[in-house]
Amino acid sequence: MPDKLSLRNMSSALESAISIAQQRHNIISSNISNLETPGYKAKDIDFKTAMAQALGSESTTALARTNAGHIGQNTGSEPEIEPFEEDGEWNGFNWMSIDKVMNKMTENNLIYRTATETLLRKIAIMKEVIREGGR
Amino acid sequence: MNFLDSLKISASGLFAQRKRMDVIAGNLSNIETTRTEKGGPYRRKMISVVAEPIDDFGDMLGSQIEGVRVDSVVEDNTPFKIVHNPGHPDADKDGNLQKPNVDLVVEMTNMLMARNVYAANVQALKSTRQMVMKALEIGKT
Repeated sequence: MPDKLSLRNMSSALESAISIAQQRHNIISSNISNLETPGYKAKDIDFKTAMAQALGSESTTALARTNAGHIGQNTGSEPEIEPFEEDGEWNGFNWMSIDKVMNKMTENNLIYRTATETLLRKIAIMKEVIREGGR
Repeated sequence: MNFLDSLKISASGLFAQRKRMDVIAGNLSNIETTRTEKGGPYRRKMISVVAEPIDDFGDMLGSQIEGVRVDSVVEDNTPFKIVHNPGHPDADKDGNLQKPNVDLVVEMTNMLMARNVYAANVQALKSTRQMVMKALEIGKT
């Protein structure tokens, strides 16, 4: 009987987290390189929403799960990119404050590294189990 | 969608800010230039930048993620400064001399901005690198 916290479930959640963090990093990089572009609208992905979407996504085309023991299918839905509220307009263009953007980038970097590190430790545990069990 | 995209984006940001620095340096070095090939004093130059999607057609999100591109170098059309200096060879018959419309304070401020945005892009690049290095650890153990 699959456990909520089984390795498979856990690693698919971590995979989603890593993938979302990576996409978010691209978007934040884009915001940074366009810090002084007139008319550019800052964008962002809401990590929580995207994560909930990735974990709970079961579209109609997904494989049917008639038994709780069936393995779900990752539908791979893309997270939504939305404009994020900024400090408003100044001199005719959308002013983004550099500190806010950098803050977002650092935060996202931490999320990414945490998820990767957790995945690494999960794998280490699995390896340990395999090694000890083989004796 | 991969890390190469964010590297490209950061690189475009670095390039744009470096170009901007070039233009600012040109303005500063010509702050007293009263004679140019086109005639008249030096006109202040600026760069105009536009956001440009990273070309990744296979990707739905690709079109929404934009790098920056230096569109053109434009001239500032504000009037020249006029000072009274009858001894100057470029002065007109009333002794008035037209000087470039370059403002030292404006240029210095822009230079600081360019430097900060450049640094921000470098930081983004470093962050990308950290993430890639971390991701590479997954296969290592």
